Amino acid sequence: MRAEPAHPPAPGAAAGPSWRRWLLRYEVLLLLVLVVEWLLFYHFGTSVNRRGVTVGFGTLDRQFDILRHSCEIGLLALALTPVILTGGIDLSVGSLLGLCAVVFGGLTHALGLPLPVAAALTLVVGAVAGGLNAGLICQLRLPPLIVTLGTYSLFRGLAEAFTRGSVTYSDFPAGFLVLGQGRWGGLPVQAWLFLAVAVSVWIWIHRTVAGRACRVIGFAPEGARFAGIGVRGQLTAAYVAAGVIAALAALIYTSRLGQAKADAGLGYELFAITAVVLGGTSIFGGRGTVTGTLLGVAAIAVLKNGLATLPVVMRLNAAEELAGLLTGALLLAALAAGKLAERLRLSSVTG
Amino acid sequence: MSERPLLAFRRITKSFGAVRALRGVDLEVRAGEVHALLGENGAGKSTLIKVATGAHAPDSGVIELAGETLERLDPALARRRGIACIYQQPALFPELSVAENLALRLEPAAGWRRVAWAERHRVALALLARIGAEIDPGREVGTLSMPEQQLVEIASAIGAGARVVIMDEPTASLTRREQERLFGIVNALRREGVAVIYISHRLEEILALADRVTVLRDGQSVASRLRAEVDEATLIRLMVGRDVAQLYPPSESAPGAVRLALRGLCCRSAGGRPVSFEVRAGEVYGLAGLVGAGRTELARTLFGLTPADAGELWIDGERVTIGSPQAAIAHGIAYVPEDRRRHGVVLELPIEQNVSLAAWRRLFPLGWLRRDRERSEAREFVRALAIRTPDTETATANLSGGNQQKVALARWLATRPRVLLLDEPTQGVDVGAKSEIHRLVRRFAAEGMAVVLISSDLPEILGMSDRIGVMRGGELAAELPGGAGATQVMSAALGQPVEGTAA
Ligand SMILES: Nc1ncnc2c1ncn2[C@@H]1O[C@H](COP(=O)(O)OP(=O)(O)OP(=O)(O)O)[C@@H](O)[C@H]1O
Ligand SMILES: [Mg+2]
Repeated sequence: MRAEPAHPPAPGAAAGPSWRRWLLRYEVLLLLVLVVEWLLFYHFGTSVNRRGVTVGFGTLDRQFDILRHSCEIGLLALALTPVILTGGIDLSVGSLLGLCAVVFGGLTHALGLPLPVAAALTLVVGAVAGGLNAGLICQLRLPPLIVTLGTYSLFRGLAEAFTRGSVTYSDFPAGFLVLGQGRWGGLPVQAWLFLAVAVSVWIWIHRTVAGRACRVIGFAPEGARFAGIGVRGQLTAAYVAAGVIAALAALIYTSRLGQAKADAGLGYELFAITAVVLGGTSIFGGRGTVTGTLLGVAAIAVLKNGLATLPVVMRLNAAEELAGLLTGALLLAALAAGKLAERLRLSSVTG
Repeated sequence: MSERPLLAFRRITKSFGAVRALRGVDLEVRAGEVHALLGENGAGKSTLIKVATGAHAPDSGVIELAGETLERLDPALARRRGIACIYQQPALFPELSVAENLALRLEPAAGWRRVAWAERHRVALALLARIGAEIDPGREVGTLSMPEQQLVEIASAIGAGARVVIMDEPTASLTRREQERLFGIVNALRREGVAVIYISHRLEEILALADRVTVLRDGQSVASRLRAEVDEATLIRLMVGRDVAQLYPPSESAPGAVRLALRGLCCRSAGGRPVSFEVRAGEVYGLAGLVGAGRTELARTLFGLTPADAGELWIDGERVTIGSPQAAIAHGIAYVPEDRRRHGVVLELPIEQNVSLAAWRRLFPLGWLRRDRERSEAREFVRALAIRTPDTETATANLSGGNQQKVALARWLATRPRVLLLDEPTQGVDVGAKSEIHRLVRRFAAEGMAVVLISSDLPEILGMSDRIGVMRGGELAAELPGGAGATQVMSAALGQPVEGTAA
């Protein structure tokens, strides 16, 4: 053993001032964006109508609306975070949401199963679908992009075949509609479910060896195998969990709208992926946080809903189009800012 | 040898964050000279040459080529100006053929020309012939062995008309023979008036090859001497700043019961042949052989990467089946692999997470991460193996090559294994740390571990092993006692009769 290194480096020397490092963290930047976004909409999107009632962005109802809308895409984004951390992708979650919605409708309406049983079976369908993805990816060693591109069409096709493209299940009992429309403890009911899932995924990713395994697989799949990590098992867990969470999102979606149709959740996977990437998760795997994903979801949800409250946008009736455009711009700007912050963080250390 | 330097570094500094990798390095290399660069792990050797190849921009200082200052150097410019570098890890495209890889480096990248396949093939063949390499230019690079890929790199350097050829630890995983061929090429380059910068931790190589030696310590050049002025002890003293006993630590205890026993074990589907031997607790069993003798393949089968499909494996008198690395770890088998960057460490992870990676079961029995345990474990190894780093949170990619190797070793020592398989454990590690690792291996053996040591460094095998198994063509060709000599081992490896012992 060497007596001492020639120039013992101070511990934490590479860290620089810690507050500065913290400020330049991607999540903090994103939080800042979110707050600015919110304040702008609050300022420009809130008005008082002729009867003296406050309308627009600054109302509690509107805020709850945002929360309700973001729950389903938020759930999909949470489902995708572990998958993307492993260096994979799941394009099928939106279609699976649609499939699970009509399966649930069929189970309650056509088969007349009690709600809890139908709900549980729907979650099982989600798990099986996720297992199918995992099986194809692990056993056949196919790239996740290709596999889930296939199941993306497959699941939606099944949903359409199931309903022959036209059946819409509605008339759900009030007890079920509470899930998507009611409040509990002052918040929309689904917000609690969302919170529970978020906390679970956060614990999984940031506090357990299984989450660490996802990251390692994302960085170096071969290296993970040489370190004795059960790569197949971990991948299967990630895709099955994604399926189950998508099924849960389907239940909430169905309850919120009070109807189940084959086109439920059409295109949601892209919003979810955007949210995850906006949240700072690397599409190549390894890097990313659940907090980032949550902030990404919030930033997109506030943007979409906030735009619709701006008078200009309402006059032009272009909320949807603008939302798409601005989401894209936000994503690119955030990625650029993230790179810049990384550089600053490094140079602040040098200085 | 001309007196004016061909390549000169003047007061080069370079920092990475708080780490001052180079603090004003001066180095002059003349045409037709083999200039050896040596220093401890993390002394700044690789950083210095990355400055010369334009991969890193220096914070201050200048580089002069033939008296002319090179401004704003980038890798393409460096190559055009005749500075070529052969990294330890060849940087070729594995899916392309040898000829295509050479063409990518040598043909101008412009425009819409027709690809002259026959011409490409001819050029590649000529270049390979010039360095005496018998490689078919049509072969896909991914199917070549590491030494062969290195030859392709050298061919491309020569083809580009390099005036300065830099080799960063080219022999770290070469066996004797390949090493000798490389020396032949280096000598040929010197005769042609090329300046060669040669980095290695193998002092005997440096003494055999170099005309001049420069020693770096803590990012500064502490000495530049002619070969004739130095011997091994001087070099070590210059590098480490004190004397290091070059002796291998002796066996401390008598071997105990049989820990590991192979009875005709092999993985037929991966082309293995049956192998039988036993290793006792406290014993270091060296596996010698030429490249391709099947040593790494055997280790992979033992570790469950290519599970055995024939024969028996016994650990501590109990028959076990190892179907996966997880099973191997559960049975107390650890494997420090040969390819550090791809398999040994996860470069993106912090040091501490690399160290704990295989020891989750011991460190986090409930599946919950415990950062405090992880960190104190990592700190212990950083201290014990003298890993040079500001803290254990540093990304492993930021460590120097030798220090990464120590992290790879720490990962497996942290599992507290019963059977330790070491595949080139000291590749790229400096002399001081190397003898430290040898001492640690001895200590672990004395505590009852069974160690299987694979190394292309023959003195290491001879010095460390209690018994030596020599492999040839996938089979155990001979088993020699610890005191065996180099010639005995070499003749067994080559399939010649060995005097004095029965195979
Ligand atoms: N990209 C980087 N970021 C941060 N630190 C770095 C980086 N590259 C090198 N270093 C640090 O610079 C120092 C010099 O490293 P370098 O790789 O030049 O050492 P070396 O002499 O080549 O060692 P070895 O013999 O182990 O290869 C080390 O302390 C290393 O940790
Ligand atoms: Mg180096």
